[in-house]
Amino acid sequence: MESHYFFPPASAYPLNRFLFALKSDTATRDRYVADPEAAVGEAGLDAGMRAALIAADRDRLIALGAHPYLVFMAQVRLSMAREPGTFEYF
Amino acid sequence: MALVAAFALPHTPQLLVRPPTEDRELVLRVHAAYAEVKRRLAAARPDVLGVIGGDHIEGFFLNAVPALAVFVGARASGEFGRYRYGFDVHEPLARVIVEQGIEAGFDLTYSQDVRLDYAFYVPLHFTMPDPPLPIVPLYVNVYLPPQPAPHRCYAWGQALRRILDARPERVALVASGGLSHFPGTDRYASPDYDFDRALLASLAEGRGAETARLTGDELDKAGNVELRTWITLLGAVGAARAQVLAYEPSWHHGNAVVAWPM
Repeated sequence: MESHYFFPPASAYPLNRFLFALKSDTATRDRYVADPEAAVGEAGLDAGMRAALIAADRDRLIALGAHPYLVFMAQVRLSMAREPGTFEYF
Repeated sequence: MALVAAFALPHTPQLLVRPPTEDRELVLRVHAAYAEVKRRLAAARPDVLGVIGGDHIEGFFLNAVPALAVFVGARASGEFGRYRYGFDVHEPLARVIVEQGIEAGFDLTYSQDVRLDYAFYVPLHFTMPDPPLPIVPLYVNVYLPPQPAPHRCYAWGQALRRILDARPERVALVASGGLSHFPGTDRYASPDYDFDRALLASLAEGRGAETARLTGDELDKAGNVELRTWITLLGAVGAARAQVLAYEPSWHHGNAVVAWPM
């Protein structure tokens, strides 16, 4: 069985690049929150990648080569941006 | 002067920014253990804090994936949600670590331009003494395979200790990571807490050197890829016996707070 955190295939570079921006770049995240279709449309992704991102389909994203941690933390950061009132800040 | 204190601490972001899925009482118990570390850290009167952490694909992306790296800038800073943070870097010590580490055979990467990951920030948010100490961020690749082998991490920790032992500064080391967790995978809700408990028992007996014999595959299967930061620290602390200040396994994460009296 492949490791949980597997070598990122080169074919998935654009996808991982976008997930990295979603996680770590506020402007990209804000664009995605406002209009997911438009945000993924600007990122040089193929149709399968775009659809998996819009659906936030973790299994599909990982099957396409997305790094599991990037998928995870992109979702955490999106939920922090969308629903800041549901978190307790220390 | 060498090493005056050593700790291993968790950094899971839910300890800083708690969503409703997390048990508040558990989070507060980890905070209480952090507070004890903060007290001990201040009492050890270090001049500088070396933080051994794993970048969570934040400072380094796929443009370059260093196995082992040192931040040698003037100030290390970053952000996580509403938190904006920055720490002065002890540049003389950081530079000596790079220079002497390379001389010792570790082909370290260095950077003066890396966003500091929350894995470094979260433990410092809770344990940094007042006034704050300068830090040296020490990077170990944990999430992007192929990661450095555990035996190599241990050897780097041993070399780091030799470098620190020859320095005038009083140095405290913190390893940030773990224990068992599987973010982003279908194992998220089933960490390997038996692995954690056996590990903590062996560390309490001063058997940290045994971690150098673990394989990368074993770490991955146990949800302990981040243990590489601890293994590096264990190379530096040697056979010192660990005191487990807290072990708080949540529904997805084994939060461990450990001290090595020096």
